[in-house]
Amino acid sequence: MELGAFKAAVDAWLDEQGPALACDYEGVGTLDEQMIQLRKVMKMAYDAGFMRMGWPERVGGLGGSNLLRAYLGEALTARDLVEPGIYSMPEVLAPTMIDFAPEALATEMVPKLLSGEEIWCQGFSEPGTGSNLGSLACRAERTDAGWRINGQKVWTSLAQYAQRCVLLTRTGTPESAHRGITALFVDMESPGITVRPIETMHGAKEFCEVFYDDVVVPLDRVLGEVDGGWSIAMDLLPYERSTALWHRAAYLQRRLEQLVSAAPAGTLDPRAVGEATQLLWAFRARSRATQRRLAAGETLGSETSIDKVLVATAEQAIFDLVGEGLGPEVAVRDDPESERWRAEFLYSRAATIYGGSAEIQRNIIARRLLELGDDR
Amino acid sequence: METAELELFHRSIRRATETCGDESLDAALDEIGWRDALAADRSTAVSVLFEAQGLAVADSSALDWLLAAALGEEEGQASVVLSPLRRPEAPARVSAGRCEVRGLGTKAVALNDAAVVVAETDGGSVACTVKVSALELRKVRGLDPWLGLVEVTGHLDAGATRPVDWAGAVSLGQLALGHELVGLARAMLELARRHALERVQFGRPISSFQAIRHRLAESLVALEAADGLLAAAWEDPSPVTAAMAKGLAGRSARTVARHAQQVLAGIGFTTEHPLHRYVRRTIVLDQLLGASSVLTAQLGQNVLERATLPPTFPL
Repeated sequence: MELGAFKAAVDAWLDEQGPALACDYEGVGTLDEQMIQLRKVMKMAYDAGFMRMGWPERVGGLGGSNLLRAYLGEALTARDLVEPGIYSMPEVLAPTMIDFAPEALATEMVPKLLSGEEIWCQGFSEPGTGSNLGSLACRAERTDAGWRINGQKVWTSLAQYAQRCVLLTRTGTPESAHRGITALFVDMESPGITVRPIETMHGAKEFCEVFYDDVVVPLDRVLGEVDGGWSIAMDLLPYERSTALWHRAAYLQRRLEQLVSAAPAGTLDPRAVGEATQLLWAFRARSRATQRRLAAGETLGSETSIDKVLVATAEQAIFDLVGEGLGPEVAVRDDPESERWRAEFLYSRAATIYGGSAEIQRNIIARRLLELGDDR
Repeated sequence: METAELELFHRSIRRATETCGDESLDAALDEIGWRDALAADRSTAVSVLFEAQGLAVADSSALDWLLAAALGEEEGQASVVLSPLRRPEAPARVSAGRCEVRGLGTKAVALNDAAVVVAETDGGSVACTVKVSALELRKVRGLDPWLGLVEVTGHLDAGATRPVDWAGAVSLGQLALGHELVGLARAMLELARRHALERVQFGRPISSFQAIRHRLAESLVALEAADGLLAAAWEDPSPVTAAMAKGLAGRSARTVARHAQQVLAGIGFTTEHPLHRYVRRTIVLDQLLGASSVLTAQLGQNVLERATLPPTFPL
């Protein structure tokens, strides 16, 4: 389907199904409520065919370019039907499966993800492995029964809801660094997995610690090559900085628009509003170009670090304004709308931390794009 | 333009801006056929030339050609009187049959016999084409003497005027200057980058220090943001979008200038290194046809007054 026709079809469907798709809670909602809403919207969009657009047919998709996915997420986010962070997780997880899973596994599993039937998570970070992903220690040993996993992950989003996990494990020696990492596709119901949600500053228990004690994973659940997990992580990170960020921009635009209507006169500095608007528009221009390059079959790489720095900068600029124009809402009001502004204001503080910190993005830009050589 | 044609155009323009002096760049552009390119493919002609001018800190009459064409001067033999710095308003006022001119001109003003003067009236913008000899020109030395700006004043008979789209012409000028600012920023970043790789302190190139690397990375982010917004603005070069793009380009170029100057440190503060030429031009061009500070505050003011955001780029 062409983008123009797809947009018209999505818009018409959203108009028609508006009441059925709408959230049935006020304000930010609990994470449980957000997850119910997410799965409802994904299932309805999947059944209507829209959620299958832009994905290959061999995993239950209906084909077409990534621009279709970008538009669907934008439209759902602009209408405040989904929270873009949790909605966009398949944008990273599905390509992992499509590019690296054994074909039958991808065919079996990806439709469950896209339809909202299952939630998946991504086990990358560890207590001792934040920015330095190559140092991860969660161990997977090959036994006759399968891969035996022991270790701990942290910052695993939505692990308490997840049926599956794309897990990075250490299969080489502890010194093997990026050469000895293997990606496994793990059932979260496997014995030996303990999930402990972490309460964050913004009030949602979105991130979890996950403990793996003698967890056994079938040998055929390897994604890519044994000891080849690093290249999977590297291939996937640009996905995290493309379509998902386009969705995020739709959310930021909606919130900025709501802010300028809600903030009392005189509370916002016009120049700061102008700067935030310019930044968001510049991000949209760049992210759209990234979407188009992806649609043209280009491989995305380090240049998407610029997209990531820009969106995080725009997000914090916008929510800095929220802190000014809606200062009392953020600080002392407890009605559902104020609680939502407060939660989102706080969450924006993490925009330069998650998904590769602002410093790591600048390191990538310096090394890969500016070719500044080693930093030691 | 087709890919091959575009590459040739790009190469010819780059060579001309790098090798011609400012005096002979106009002739070189005529030989390349820049004005034909402008008529055939405006966004390409403007973006390629003005970015190249920034990269080489070179200057031509192209801004005048662009504005004159936008104001309906068919032959392109007239220059255009620009706004005073900071605000992109029309440079003249008409009252009681007299036209009061207070603006700036590029070097091109003195090269032509005629100049287009645009005045704001209650009925909208009007233009008249006047003899340059009827205007008072005063050469400006200022921060960037190489740019050769002139102060233009005059008290003229209003005479025959025609309605024009000043805001539309300003938009094109803003996009052109935006590309020039991006070119300046790219050049400054490259100067700083090369210096960082070559300069050794504490036994290692200073490019290995994170404080330096992050300044340079920040510079690349700033200029790519501006470049992307400019490219998108060409799809619908409305006054709002063009002002937004120039506002960001000016701010980004100033950001890059600050980081580049810090990384280049002592040598970048001397006239023995080319950086100062780029810094000077950045500060002046940022203020021409609307300073980033003014354009940004105006954008924010409009957003707040209307409680709505400008139209965005559809996917």
